[in-house]
Amino acid sequence: MTQLTPEQRAEVLERHLHEHGHIDPDRIDDAVAARERADGPSPALGARIVARAWTDPDFKARLLADGTATVSELANQTVPISVLEDTTDRHHVIVCTLCSCYPGGVLGDPPTWYKSFEYRSRVVREPRAVLAEFGMDVDDGVELRVVDSTSEQRYLVLPLRPEGTDGWTAEQLAALVTRDSMIGTGRPLAP
Amino acid sequence: MDGVHDMGGMHGFGPVPIEVDEPLYYEAWEGRVAAITRRMMANSTVDRFRYTIEQMPPAEYLDSRYYERWLWAAERLADEPDIIERMAAAPTPPPVGEPASAPRFAPGQRVRVGNPVTASHTRVPRYIRTRQGTVVSRSSIWPHPTESAATGRYGATEQVYSVAFDGRDLFGPAADHVVVVDVWERDLEEAS
Repeated sequence: MTQLTPEQRAEVLERHLHEHGHIDPDRIDDAVAARERADGPSPALGARIVARAWTDPDFKARLLADGTATVSELANQTVPISVLEDTTDRHHVIVCTLCSCYPGGVLGDPPTWYKSFEYRSRVVREPRAVLAEFGMDVDDGVELRVVDSTSEQRYLVLPLRPEGTDGWTAEQLAALVTRDSMIGTGRPLAP
Repeated sequence: MDGVHDMGGMHGFGPVPIEVDEPLYYEAWEGRVAAITRRMMANSTVDRFRYTIEQMPPAEYLDSRYYERWLWAAERLADEPDIIERMAAAPTPPPVGEPASAPRFAPGQRVRVGNPVTASHTRVPRYIRTRQGTVVSRSSIWPHPTESAATGRYGATEQVYSVAFDGRDLFGPAADHVVVVDVWERDLEEAS
């Protein structure tokens, strides 16, 4: 017997569950479409949160003290989330070495590299070498904190606000916030 | 379990494959398997799903793409009567609320990670077992994953701590960073 492709196996699985009345293919269509729509969690949502934290000290204080409640004001979170503030002395980078845990309630689904064996195995051991592959150089004097998402709590990095953005609005700032800057493998864009 | 999934700190993997603007799903079946799996697990626990993936033979795990591992687990979970029977019910959220007992550890305290080596599910990665670290915070409250994986139901809540480890204690003298890992209370003990 020839081996089935993953696509064929997926069809067998879906047909089996459908024939036994456990799933409705139309609802699976809807679930896939919902995941692919741009109005759910996405880096744009994360960028709005970061930009607001940069411009609204009260929001930032609440965000750092109770990430779950504060983020839920903008998008409901089904698991706890904690926001990690970068400073001039400390840079955070997040990973899930055991699987693929990611702040999906804010950023949406993780990029492929985040789920890769290379990233999962190496970033806890040699973060500076891994960040260099992303084009990031972290000064020796800066403490590098790699945060392994082993519990259901998710982590989002609040990166340093770029210099030269005094007086910018939250909307202008949000355009500088990249997905990778909220994972810790990049910095916000320069103004 | 000491599976190949527990790869934090392993040597031998190459450069991170950084793609730009990759699709959410490379092939249409991936999105369908993801949606089907979420539906299947809505009345079980995420730990049961993870534990199933962890049982893939190591060579197969390393040779599979991300959603191929989901597919492998979904095929097996589709044969589990309790998963299938509960699919029709409304989704059950995990419990919230304070644990029954007061937290044993406080921020700043030195702790040692236990060595909970069993064939069952654990979220204590190998690279921190028996190592000492410092409690950063009481990070969250959540049921313990070993029970959640074994039973497919969330049990009582437990305190989870963020623990900071000196990279040198984990990966040798060349390390110059800190690793922070979330650990459930029962997997920690006071440092001696």
